[in-house]
Amino acid sequence: MSETAPKKTTAIKSTRAAGQVRGIVKKMYGRANQAAAEGKPIAYCMVASQYEEILKAMDIVPVWTENYAALTAAKQAAEPFITRAEAEGFSNVLCKYAMVGLGFDAVRAETGRVPEGAPDGGMARPTMLLGSSAVCDPRFKWYQALGRYMDTPIYCIDVLYPQSRQFSPDMRNYYVRYQTEQFQGLVDFLERTTGTRMDWDRLGGIMDLADETTRVWWDAYQLRKARPCPMPSQDHFSCMVPAYYLLGEPEALAFYQALYDELKDRVDRGVGIIENERLRLLWGGGLPPWHTLSIFNYFEQQGAVFTIETSYHPPEPVEPLGAGAHPLERLAHRFITRVERAQARADRGCGDARVQQILDLLEDYGNVGMMMHQARSCRATSLGQIHFKNIVQEHVKVPTMFMESDIIDVRDYSEADTRMRVDAFLDAVAAYAGGLS
Amino acid sequence: MTASWDQTAGLAKVEFLTRDPYARARALRQAGRKVMGYLCSYTPLEFFTALDLVPHRIMGSVREPVVKADAHLEPIACPYVRSCLDKALRGEFDFLDGVVFPHSCDNVQHLSTIWEYYLKPGFYYFLNVPHMVQASSLDFFSAELETLRRRLSAFAGRPMTDEALAAAVGLHNKSRALLRRLYDLRRQASPPVTGEEVLKIVLATMVLPVSEQIELLEEVLGEVQSRPAAEAEGRPRLMLYGCEIDSPEFVRLIEDAGADVVMDDLCTGTRAFWEEVEETPDPIQGLAVRYLEKLHCPRTYRARTGTHAEDLENRFGYMREYLETFGIRGAVLYVIRYCDTQEFDAPSVRDYLGGLGVPVLHIEDDYTLAGIEGLRTRVQAFVEMIL
Repeated sequence: MSETAPKKTTAIKSTRAAGQVRGIVKKMYGRANQAAAEGKPIAYCMVASQYEEILKAMDIVPVWTENYAALTAAKQAAEPFITRAEAEGFSNVLCKYAMVGLGFDAVRAETGRVPEGAPDGGMARPTMLLGSSAVCDPRFKWYQALGRYMDTPIYCIDVLYPQSRQFSPDMRNYYVRYQTEQFQGLVDFLERTTGTRMDWDRLGGIMDLADETTRVWWDAYQLRKARPCPMPSQDHFSCMVPAYYLLGEPEALAFYQALYDELKDRVDRGVGIIENERLRLLWGGGLPPWHTLSIFNYFEQQGAVFTIETSYHPPEPVEPLGAGAHPLERLAHRFITRVERAQARADRGCGDARVQQILDLLEDYGNVGMMMHQARSCRATSLGQIHFKNIVQEHVKVPTMFMESDIIDVRDYSEADTRMRVDAFLDAVAAYAGGLS
Repeated sequence: MTASWDQTAGLAKVEFLTRDPYARARALRQAGRKVMGYLCSYTPLEFFTALDLVPHRIMGSVREPVVKADAHLEPIACPYVRSCLDKALRGEFDFLDGVVFPHSCDNVQHLSTIWEYYLKPGFYYFLNVPHMVQASSLDFFSAELETLRRRLSAFAGRPMTDEALAAAVGLHNKSRALLRRLYDLRRQASPPVTGEEVLKIVLATMVLPVSEQIELLEEVLGEVQSRPAAEAEGRPRLMLYGCEIDSPEFVRLIEDAGADVVMDDLCTGTRAFWEEVEETPDPIQGLAVRYLEKLHCPRTYRARTGTHAEDLENRFGYMREYLETFGIRGAVLYVIRYCDTQEFDAPSVRDYLGGLGVPVLHIEDDYTLAGIEGLRTRVQAFVEMIL
């Protein structure tokens, strides 16, 4: 997301790549609305559900509803949707992505039109809802609740993450089998709903493209280890868009190739985010505050840069299964293999895969401080942060700040309070960094 | 402890366990049994019984403030989960030899990780329960149950045979049948047992081995059924809908307001026992179906196949029987804040019950009953409204 207008700094801050993302997002919603006008199949979708390539292979036009909620927040247009969802009886503690979506569709059901003030022409009216259990519970409960406003066909798949510490090789088969069967169930549903058959060769080609895209993205981010760091987290929260929402499209691969080239050039020329990079920080957890991404500027004004993030981190490249493997099995294999590899790294370190990622990103990127965002309405990414921080502290005493806000809802957010906490945090980070040198 | 336990029976035993829910588990452990803690209705209790392990449902405390859990679990976590963790960190569950946590929801998932790290249970398993209910989901869940079975057997130091598992299924079904008989009494115009008593009884069974559950329930039924029949007073008959209500205080509050709680749809009520395990040749098959497909919890997604009205019927139609056969005139929808799956369902539950002409009092609360006087006012107004 690049929708928040950044405050000016003296830095050579934003990458050209990040600057393109707003246009990509606008085009994405425009394309969906055009497809709706042409009567094409359109699906409400959840990010990181592992089904992106399947949709692409079946020409389903996706509407990424969480992204749309983030867009409304960045455009300061979320509140009317949230208050409408509250008026419908949904609790104000629920995921605010969902609340925006529920409010949006409640209004559309009532008026028959895209709600007034909806950015980018609004979300196209879906012909199907595709939920999943990946990451959190609201991702299937939200679409289930949408039944109050639309009788649109719905299909939800399980995406079950093994609890990595107890996961053993003897469990792998049934995890891969189940994931494969879940994908097959989705394909069956899409074939029934659209009347078209899956072209498996095409899916294989799209997966090749997606794997290559992920690899280039991964490689590009390795360049952020350089001093000075060539790309900030604020750019990351834009640059993740093609990988998550256009995966399997040539445009996404081209985007990351250009990003790689740009970062390489910056590194070669010693160009950083700010002129005098003093402190390097890790975004160690939580989704970003889409309503206030400009908070990054405040850090940078004080010489602190966020070099890398655990949130929306590029997935580790995985070698595909052999040529004879079924594409759906290949998808499942890729998903489970990433979990296994993360745990294998943790087994050589602290034992917990998520904490190990933090420890690795602290060390590999030379970070001396960590911030986590406790987003009030997001239990999936906010719960566990205290625990992770506690374990990190057992290994390295890096100063940590918890930013308290929300992904979307700005009503309880105080910029002044946050800045005061940032000041204290950066003092602690400076002292810590001084002790290291 | 053993003497006083042995000298009591029926409802006195229930009161005993209401005062000290850990007493029996501690005594059994002292006598050499292993005690296994668990959360949620999705833990297959038959596994414990088949290995002669004592099941003990982990519960929170509505009256004790959270102190230690603050250092580990965020305040936006489910307050019931935070209470359970707090009690654990204070050592209240030090008699547990191991724990099994099913993947019921995001909150429990995070709790389990923290529990494992700090409390280092002798046995730990996070049971990955699918959210979907399809043939492949049942296959996966069966495989996951087999993994738990192997690991639990290794911990217990003995194999869990099909025969032992089938016998355990039979025992738990018997306990379930007795609980349903207890609930049947509440269909009467003037129930011989109060909602508060019933909740205490159900909670008591959750901290006992199944053989003792059966003994207790038979004693309780005998006592309750021998009570003289009372005149029906025409009090409104209510159903309580929600998740974890593990304190009788809230039920007492409703009944003090002039209504009878005669039925529930709670994790600490019917969800735990209403459905039996089918005695299948392969016991795992019956267990997988019962624990995944038959349980009615919002954490499990029910595929929609028709209109919204048909979807509501598909998801909540099981309540029709409750409403009709228990003569329900109103429902209290008690949602613990931050229980996302219940929070998402709440408007739909209200729609469904409202469509059947059942007035609903929707309460979103923080589990602790800290604002109990405010709740009392709302409940009183609701009861007066439906009188």
